Amino acid sequence: MNLTVNGVEARLVSPPLASLLHVLREELGVTSPKAGCQQGGCGACTVLVDGEPRRSCLVPLATIEGARVTTVEGLGRPDDLAPVQAAFHEGYAAQCGFCTSGMLIAAHAYVERGGTDERGAILEALGGHICRCTGYAKIVAAVSAAARGDVATQAVEASYEPVPGEPEVLVKGSPA
Amino acid sequence: MARHRGRGVATIEYPTGMNQNGDPSQAWVKLKPDGRVDVFAGTVDIGQGSKTVHTQIVADTLGVPYDWVTMDNTNTDSSPVCTGTFASRGTFIGGNAVRYAAERARERILDIAGKELEIDPSDLEVADGDVVVKGSPDRKLSVGDVAAAATWTYGELITGTGAALKPFAEVDDDTGAVTEEPHAAISYAACVADVEVDDETGEVTVLRLVQVYDVGRAINPTLVEGQIEGGALMGLGLGLLEASYPYYPSPEHRGGEFGAYLAPSMDDLPELDNVILENPSADGPFGAKAIGEMANNAQPPAICSAIFDAVGIWVTECPATPERVLRALQARAEPRREGKRVIFDEEISLRRVASKEGVAKLIDGG
Repeated sequence: MNLTVNGVEARLVSPPLASLLHVLREELGVTSPKAGCQQGGCGACTVLVDGEPRRSCLVPLATIEGARVTTVEGLGRPDDLAPVQAAFHEGYAAQCGFCTSGMLIAAHAYVERGGTDERGAILEALGGHICRCTGYAKIVAAVSAAARGDVATQAVEASYEPVPGEPEVLVKGSPA
Repeated sequence: MARHRGRGVATIEYPTGMNQNGDPSQAWVKLKPDGRVDVFAGTVDIGQGSKTVHTQIVADTLGVPYDWVTMDNTNTDSSPVCTGTFASRGTFIGGNAVRYAAERARERILDIAGKELEIDPSDLEVADGDVVVKGSPDRKLSVGDVAAAATWTYGELITGTGAALKPFAEVDDDTGAVTEEPHAAISYAACVADVEVDDETGEVTVLRLVQVYDVGRAINPTLVEGQIEGGALMGLGLGLLEASYPYYPSPEHRGGEFGAYLAPSMDDLPELDNVILENPSADGPFGAKAIGEMANNAQPPAICSAIFDAVGIWVTECPATPERVLRALQARAEPRREGKRVIFDEEISLRRVASKEGVAKLIDGG
């Protein structure tokens, strides 16, 4: 069996009915797709198969022979982030990070398809992904920003300046 | 058959950490020869951002840039004791431990710098990675040079340890008086919920949550907001969706998949309006209190109050599932107990009972 994973061709020894998730994590050591519910219910294992977001836990290897698979490792690099990665980074759209890989892949596919910043459309595209922390508000805001192109494409330096949209502080100052 | 809107409010107060000296956190801080800082503490970051907050506390206490500080909480051999990430204690107790450790390390920095500059350490301060002579900002030495001098000239390691522990409070059995305040800090919050109730299906939709949290000093407002928003959705789940053991304590019928155990999905996301109210505490690091656990407490009662406001029924058991809402609506329409038609209406019934003299006295408090 053969796959092209993040641009690298791989010859695989896993059996044909092994799940793509198992192949990525256990045979190839690509660990951004997470093994969450492993029933297709949580979205944490989502990867791109020939550009389409798929639940890798439900995809038998035999059904995608020769396909191009993209995981978060293939979306961007720290000095050249994909727009959705930059938007998640700028917007603090991750807490524990377990759902983040799947969210990024689904959001990337949505933005690449020309998705807009319309809230209903974003909920439709990412609605099957569960974030238990649960940072939906910031995730939706980040995907909106990426859809608008309202992001830098590289990691921003840590800034001590207040960021627009930060929560309102009513009583300033502290004894410290 | 219609959709009804309602609004409810709930408030919460929440203590910080545990008490009666059962809740220690320890930390140590050391400087590398180039002045970069290593922090060892056991507080576990589960996504709430305690690693970031601890790093901020150490950087600000020492007077060095944030990115000079590396926090290592990776193993229990190198990290001192921390009782854990629970009881909303991370920032308050764990944060105090790293603050005390950083204060001690800062004293050592000033001692060594005092020797190098031949100035009394009390005339020195640390800011932006430099040890500066008070009132004479041109006379300074970088923290890196101080750490190098400690390493290569004086043969010393600049380090500091700290520990935070709420002291034991003796309670007088007769009067209840205590020797110590039982709590170090209390956080407060209020939540207003706007809901829509469908009286045909029993379905409740949360439209908007307005939440105000008094967390003391918000050391990192973005992370506090993450806790508020996360708690909002978790509270919404507790209020409307999540029942892990519907027949508790029997594990029968426990949901084994996300189709059977309903965690809030992105579709349930209401409009969120967050306000952080800074009301600093005297004891917390930089005035911080806590937010962790309190963040998902106020939403279920606020939602249930809003349901009452919308359709006039109290759902007294969470989650307020469509079934429970419909049963309560039906019970109001057709009041029955054990097959008999039984009506209890506070207005009518109490007035009738009160018309009899004896009971009237009871009701009047006579």
